[in-house]
Amino acid sequence: MAKLFTGLVLVASSWLVAQGAQAQEADAALIQRGEAVAIEGDCAACHSEPGRPAFSGGHPIKSPLGTIYSTNITPSLEAGIGHYSLEEFSAALRQGVRADGGHLYPAMPYTAYAKLTDDDIEALYAYFMHGVAPADVAAEETALPFPFNLRFSMAGWNLLFLDDAPFEPDPARSEQYNRGAYLVQGATHCGTCHTPRNFLMAERDSAALEGASLGTWYAPNITADVQNGIGDWSHAQLVDYLRTGHADNGATAGGPMLEAIDLSFSRMPLTDLEAIATYLLPEGSESAAPINAEASSPDAETSNASAPQPLSDDDTPAALAAISPGERVYRNQCAACHAPDGGGLNGLPSLVGHPVLDKPNADNVVMAVLEGVWPEHRQGMLGFAEELDDFQVADVTNYLMDEFGGSDVRIDTARVAELRAGGAPSTLLLLARVGMVAGAVVVVALLVLMFWRRRKRLR
Amino acid sequence: MYIAAPKVSDRRFQREYVIPMSNDKVADVVVVGAGICGSLLATRLARAGRSVLLLESGPRKGRGELVQNYRESAFKSDYMAPYPYSEMAPHPRFSPTPNDYLEQAGPHAYQAQYIRMLGGTSWHWAAQMWRYVPNDFRTQSLYGVGVDWPISYDDLEDYYYQVEVITGVGGEPDNGSPRTKPFPMERVPASYLQQRVTERLAPEYRVIDDATARNSRSYGGRPACCGNNNCMPICPIDAQYHGGIAAQEAEAEGVEIVTEAVVYRLEHDIQGRISAVHYYDWDKVSHKVTAQTVVLAANAIETPKLLLMSTSDRFENGIANARDNVGRNLCDHPAVGVSFDVDEPVWPGRGPVSPCSIGDFRDGEFRAEHAPFRLDISNGSKVASVTKELLAEGYHGRALEEQVRFRSARRLALKNAMEQLPDPNNRVTLSATRDALGLPTPRMYWDIGAYERRGAEATRAHYTRIAEMLGGTNVKHSKEGAFSNRQHITGTLSMGNDPATSVTDAWGRAHDHENLFMVGTGVMPTVGTCNVTLTAAALALRTADRILEETQHG
Repeated sequence: MAKLFTGLVLVASSWLVAQGAQAQEADAALIQRGEAVAIEGDCAACHSEPGRPAFSGGHPIKSPLGTIYSTNITPSLEAGIGHYSLEEFSAALRQGVRADGGHLYPAMPYTAYAKLTDDDIEALYAYFMHGVAPADVAAEETALPFPFNLRFSMAGWNLLFLDDAPFEPDPARSEQYNRGAYLVQGATHCGTCHTPRNFLMAERDSAALEGASLGTWYAPNITADVQNGIGDWSHAQLVDYLRTGHADNGATAGGPMLEAIDLSFSRMPLTDLEAIATYLLPEGSESAAPINAEASSPDAETSNASAPQPLSDDDTPAALAAISPGERVYRNQCAACHAPDGGGLNGLPSLVGHPVLDKPNADNVVMAVLEGVWPEHRQGMLGFAEELDDFQVADVTNYLMDEFGGSDVRIDTARVAELRAGGAPSTLLLLARVGMVAGAVVVVALLVLMFWRRRKRLR
Repeated sequence: MYIAAPKVSDRRFQREYVIPMSNDKVADVVVVGAGICGSLLATRLARAGRSVLLLESGPRKGRGELVQNYRESAFKSDYMAPYPYSEMAPHPRFSPTPNDYLEQAGPHAYQAQYIRMLGGTSWHWAAQMWRYVPNDFRTQSLYGVGVDWPISYDDLEDYYYQVEVITGVGGEPDNGSPRTKPFPMERVPASYLQQRVTERLAPEYRVIDDATARNSRSYGGRPACCGNNNCMPICPIDAQYHGGIAAQEAEAEGVEIVTEAVVYRLEHDIQGRISAVHYYDWDKVSHKVTAQTVVLAANAIETPKLLLMSTSDRFENGIANARDNVGRNLCDHPAVGVSFDVDEPVWPGRGPVSPCSIGDFRDGEFRAEHAPFRLDISNGSKVASVTKELLAEGYHGRALEEQVRFRSARRLALKNAMEQLPDPNNRVTLSATRDALGLPTPRMYWDIGAYERRGAEATRAHYTRIAEMLGGTNVKHSKEGAFSNRQHITGTLSMGNDPATSVTDAWGRAHDHENLFMVGTGVMPTVGTCNVTLTAAALALRTADRILEETQHG
């Protein structure tokens, strides 16, 4: 009997051990899946800051209303989210409500993360609780000006603008399309930048992904519209662009998109990038316009390695006297890499027909000129904020738009100055304050009226 | 809005608000010369809270304008041609006609090519950032030649590294200069020329990556080298560090920079301390600067010139020159070269102009007998020089074109960096000529001794062997007995422990003037076998730390 019992215990315990190992394996798989979701969501872009522990926050996000500092989302109990339950974690991600009941600012794209499935939330939770090292460093406090320092005001905003129903696949569409839709609307939160916002800074669903200014950089229209969007891109080009930051239509990423590519898209599985391309460029829309291969690589013939063509340039005083101020800047600052004819050199990008020149404004050209372009790995481009004044930046930008882009879009020095200063100041602050003053006036007026009526009655 | 009231103890406040009545300026430290050494020192002092005034005799120009000048210049092989020139702060100029700013009084012309402009001469360089080898600091003790430094390699090791981090230096780690920390920058990929030459000379010769402040990845807000092959006279994309960047960093750190400020006199008080610095602006209006500490960083020819000009009843031979050492012991790398056509195309002109060298002869017992040297392998485009050569040979038409292609693909050029021993007769003095501001111009005396001539012979034997190994034809050695200088101007402000034989002490301080320091290549008593900027910059940071230590309570 005792033997039998021991045997049973042994069997039972080995079963338990096996179960435990399986559970551990399952946990590891869950954490790994959570890490993939964290990459899709590009959590690191805001919550990791160079020189600080991963995900410990403190990254300054310049909003038109002031600087918002990202929070510590490591499992640290004192400084991070170590004390969050799964439900609290989910509420923060999908409803923008912290464990202490405080509201998040929509700098945290919870309106997009609201689309995440319960499974993905659970995986993400497992990753942040067990896959990330706790860091006990407190992030800087965010202090927005009145009235935006009143976080409860966000409750009303959420009531108006937060749709927290998780993503529902469209059964009429392919699995790949639905996966793409889920990513674009949810984790990769493309609309956060690419969808224009209303005057209260909520995304305008009627204009989803139709392009918006971030104050400085312009997030272009990425709908399948051939004229204004990326309808003339092939699937392969879009996938290449998301994977590497450039595509054979001449596109090269810069600014926040480049950051998203370096930190997020380039680390996602190819199947997900293909799903995104399928969603953004659904069948029937793909390459409705022929790809203008000639425009994107004007030197296709001359770049043949077996027959290198000499670069030619006219440096005679007469030719030099005739050039415009914009071309002057181009030759002094840009031509060393992009070549005098704009055709690029030795793998450095051609500017002829570059997609950045085909936008409804020239903001991104100016931003690239001012800040440069800094991919994590490949060749960087120098910024010229120190070297060039607003006139020179406007001149060279207009030269590029005209000469290499064939565009009528121009920029003036006032806009260059604005972009240099970090974008136009938001009218929202003014609106809110005016609104509150107006509200206060109404309240006072009502009080006066009541008082007056009471007095009248008392008489 | 609340604005903090300025503290009366704030020196910047004093400078701006308390003494606005005259031309005069006041600072904790005044630095004369905004080249790489003066700027790095100024940055460090300002970062520690000192008010620093940085005076530059030349103008302020941006990179774009220099690129424009070079693009439009007819004198593409003259590295001075793109740089702005003014009679108000003249420097040597060679095109269209030489201005003979430096009067030549010796048997060999000393054709220095320095730039008087914000950022200084490292605007045009190949960003070579070599450490000396440890034995360079004690050649007298070890080999019975030259002089020993008052400091050792170990005293500089950490400062070497600090400058390497600031400027982003990479290269071959095993290059004779021991390191406690790895290079902060990964090597720039080897050009085809470098790969072929390295392969074909091994194992007899070891071709190594030069140590250079050249980005192989984005670093310091500057992109990686993309092979414009235009390091000299100007990198169009700032892939290499230079003094213009150092000056920009100084300004960002709060250093007040005044350009077109030509310092012409140092004034001293009764203790021999430097009490004021006088400068002319380009309208020849005189200004006076008073500071606790004065640092001269105006290059190894202009600094001695300023000292020699600053005479008084008490110091009748000039400041810091009581024992007649200022301007003496001028050293450089007296170079001999070779060029030949390799038996295969090696395509010079792709990648940096000076990527690799042979360092096998920098140190050894032979230093008792002849000068040590490094052999620099040029990767600069040879199209212009080959074309000139072919035209002189009478080629034209199709044959000319073919030969340009043939020879410029195969042409290999080498030059040595050979140590010249200090010789008091090699020196900078004042000429009788006056510039537009009425200031004397420099006079140079430069001779080459037997030690260096024997070094040149040894070099040529290697040139011959290297040409043979590469199947070289059309081998041309530079003219026998002729030596070119390599802009590594050292010795004229030599540091040393003995005031009888040196100008400055181990910290770069003038022996006779407690608050006068000098930085730059002039304080280096020997020239070694490598480009001198890194050592000068490391010494400048060391001097900066010394000034901070001494003036802590000031």
